[in-house]
Amino acid sequence: MKNIIRKLAVVICMLLILAPFFQPWSYAEDVYTDNVVIVLDCSGSMREPMYNTDIMKLNAAKSALKDVLKQVQETTHIGLLQFSAGNTSKEWLYPLGVKKDVEFMNAIDTPKPGGNTPLGKYMKIGADRLLQEREKQHGYGSYRLLVVTDGESTESPCPVDSYTQDIISRGIIIDAVGINMDRAHTLATKVHSYRSANNPGSLKKALAEVFAEVGSVKNDATGKEVFELIAPLPSEVAAAMLQALSASGNHPVGEKPKPKQEPQAQAGQDAQQVQSGATASQDHSAALLMWVIIGVVVIALLALLAKLTE
Amino acid sequence: MSKIFESMRKFYKSRVVAVDSVVLSAVAIAVVLVLVLMSVRTAYAASQETFEEQLGSVQVGNVTGTSPLEVPFITWGGDMPTFYANGNSLTTKPGSIFHKLGLNIKLVNGDDFKQQVRDYMAGKTPFLRSTFDMLGQASEVIASDTRTKGFIIEHLTWSTGGDNAVGRKDIKTVADLKGKTVCLQENGPHVGFLDDMLKSAQLDWSDIKVVWAKDLTGPNGPAEMFKNNQNIDVCFVITPDALALTGKGEGNVKGAKVFLSTAQLSRSIADVYICRKDFYDSNKELVTKFVAGYLKAVEEVIDLKNKYETTGSPEYTKLLEFTKNTLGEGAPTQEEANALIGDCTFVGYGGQLAFFREKGNLHGFEALQKKVLDLAVNRGYAKTRCAFFPSTLDYDSPTFLSYLTKTGVQRKEKFRAEAVQEEIEALTTGALDERTLLTFSINFEPNQDSFSEEQYGAEYKRLVEQADKYANAVFAVRGHSDPTKTLSEIVKAGMKKGILQRAGTEGNYKYSLNGKPLDLSSTKEIIRLIEEGAFDGIAEYNPRETMQAALNLSRQRAEALRDSIINYAESHGLHLDKSQVQPTGVGIKEPFIAKPSNMDEAKQNMRVEFRLIKVSAEATQKSDFDF
Repeated sequence: MKNIIRKLAVVICMLLILAPFFQPWSYAEDVYTDNVVIVLDCSGSMREPMYNTDIMKLNAAKSALKDVLKQVQETTHIGLLQFSAGNTSKEWLYPLGVKKDVEFMNAIDTPKPGGNTPLGKYMKIGADRLLQEREKQHGYGSYRLLVVTDGESTESPCPVDSYTQDIISRGIIIDAVGINMDRAHTLATKVHSYRSANNPGSLKKALAEVFAEVGSVKNDATGKEVFELIAPLPSEVAAAMLQALSASGNHPVGEKPKPKQEPQAQAGQDAQQVQSGATASQDHSAALLMWVIIGVVVIALLALLAKLTE
Repeated sequence: MSKIFESMRKFYKSRVVAVDSVVLSAVAIAVVLVLVLMSVRTAYAASQETFEEQLGSVQVGNVTGTSPLEVPFITWGGDMPTFYANGNSLTTKPGSIFHKLGLNIKLVNGDDFKQQVRDYMAGKTPFLRSTFDMLGQASEVIASDTRTKGFIIEHLTWSTGGDNAVGRKDIKTVADLKGKTVCLQENGPHVGFLDDMLKSAQLDWSDIKVVWAKDLTGPNGPAEMFKNNQNIDVCFVITPDALALTGKGEGNVKGAKVFLSTAQLSRSIADVYICRKDFYDSNKELVTKFVAGYLKAVEEVIDLKNKYETTGSPEYTKLLEFTKNTLGEGAPTQEEANALIGDCTFVGYGGQLAFFREKGNLHGFEALQKKVLDLAVNRGYAKTRCAFFPSTLDYDSPTFLSYLTKTGVQRKEKFRAEAVQEEIEALTTGALDERTLLTFSINFEPNQDSFSEEQYGAEYKRLVEQADKYANAVFAVRGHSDPTKTLSEIVKAGMKKGILQRAGTEGNYKYSLNGKPLDLSSTKEIIRLIEEGAFDGIAEYNPRETMQAALNLSRQRAEALRDSIINYAESHGLHLDKSQVQPTGVGIKEPFIAKPSNMDEAKQNMRVEFRLIKVSAEATQKSDFDF
């Protein structure tokens, strides 16, 4: 028996060693992954308890994220980006990638409340990472930036507005959750969704709602009324609108796009531009013309002959 | 009274003269018409003459003498291993592969195909060396005597770059051949190449005008005729001529380019040897040794070539030198001799098994035989279908298995899928068009996510067949979505944000952009606003999200279609290189109708397009053999 197990172990080891050399169908990997980057505010104010509780805001956020993310599909790629934690300088607590529960739960436990609120800077970092991923995934997939914060940016000058505008114009969806804020966060009117959370329950609910939207299936069914809605648009304007909408690049937020380089075609030889002076004729049209001329000459000669016989 | 007679005589005389003139003129016109018709026949219908008629009288005799055994070769890289096997000599050298196998061979130039057929029929040689297509043209002659019926004994190579279709600047894809004038060598290797091209674009010979050239190259070749005659749109030429026509030097043609070559249509021209039945039956061992010797030489030449290109190889240099001296103008320098071998891909031992034994092989013996005989009969080279015999050599015998070293080579996937995808995704529409060889598409219904064989079988078949023929090109399966929903989301978001205003009544609405009527003059402004994100940030109407979903959906559809195509090929026992079919999503970017008015128009946008495209060498997996 031992012998069999030993042999089996050897075979398994061999298979494991050889596994990388065997490839199934060499398709490009499926590329429409859903991607969510969570920007978690770990500033000093997150140390305060939530209204009517003794639960620290940051702990409530951690707990809600843990609960919600357990339910998120494994195929969804998650990244956890923190700012201002007092106990770690690590920005990416969980780099954007496949969600692995154990690692993610450990990562989220790490930060403790610390400094101020450089919100704009970290929204850019998170969005840039998403754009990088979108480039890698050839544009397929979905891309969301989830901002969990309890206060306004402390940056001066504040880049939040311009970054937000740029991020959403690239097709990245921004969801914001404001924790225990007396009034709506300034992001509220500028992003795709804003949810206010004043207790741990509403915080969890807000996060759950955001993740419920991730990867929601869309279809291409179209009702009759939409044709009426777009009918007044001039066709050329409609075409230009579509082109403009699909032209957003993956360059970093706040920067100008770099010129794109086309891959070089190698198959086939390219034509060169040189003038040809060739005029000789061997083709059918030329032959026809020649025979027509000969025919005319023959007819003329015959007519002449007829006249002479007269 | 006499005056009356005189006037009558004059009248009749003038009538007689007039009648004579009319008759003579009519005769002259008839002569001219006959001559014109003759010219048409000469230029356009030479193929209506059977190969037998073209060949004239042929003497049939028994094969005389096997030592030395006369073996034809032609100016082709695939014949260089034959030189090598013979010891880089026209007569077998001691110590060479053929000598060690006990063969005594005298190599003779067989570039004149008709003369080769005459020699074969007369028994001067038992072998005939040509492309399978050319054999098809001569099939009726070859089968005219029981002694000369042909066994295809060996598949040598595929042409993979040596043969080219050069077109003027308006010729971009194969479909552009319709209505064009095409020049190629009569009875040459490009007849089948052109036939394959036409079929791939679902065209027929009646869709083009053909001008036949006497020779493959030189003053009477297609390149020279193309150069001298603006009415010829396309010519079929070998690589040196293609380079000259499209290069910068003397003899080029402005705007001319290679729009297709066997570098892409790489399973079109198969080079083979056939053997007379009488000789095959009585000298099977000799034939086996000849084939084994050639395959051995292929293995060694490939290794030497690889060595030559890295560290250098005196042995390979000797082969190049011999090729140069033997072929003369066919390979005037060593480098050109090396390029000659680069124009083809060997099939090797594995290729013999695939060619003669593999079922469902679309480029195997049975499939090619059908193709070449169809062509021969349809084009009038032969009146009846006269088949060849497939090789019955024992490839499992020690003569092959104990002698050759590369018998375990397996067919590999040709492309690196990731690299292909990178390349396709990076191409702009214009660049993609430049690389497109062929395109066709299917339509689907809203929300359709399955693509049955019943509905799309004809397109699947076409794709599988063409993927096999164009083995060095990739089929991009491109999913397209309808943009109606995205457009409506832009409008709704614009209205919600107050950028767009709507006035009028149902059926007669009008839009304004920031207070000004939305018309063509607003295009620039609306582009700016969209690019700046002015229409974004509304939760209930998110055109970018809708566009993104359409892109993902179009890619998913393309994948579903790719899977259906693979299932189709597998269920029909057809070989398909899966790496050759690459799904990609286009989304709403390339609608046929940017603003559909109804569902019928919207459905025209809902399509999956199959685009056969050229890809770079980097996206291809290198292989010494192709079968």
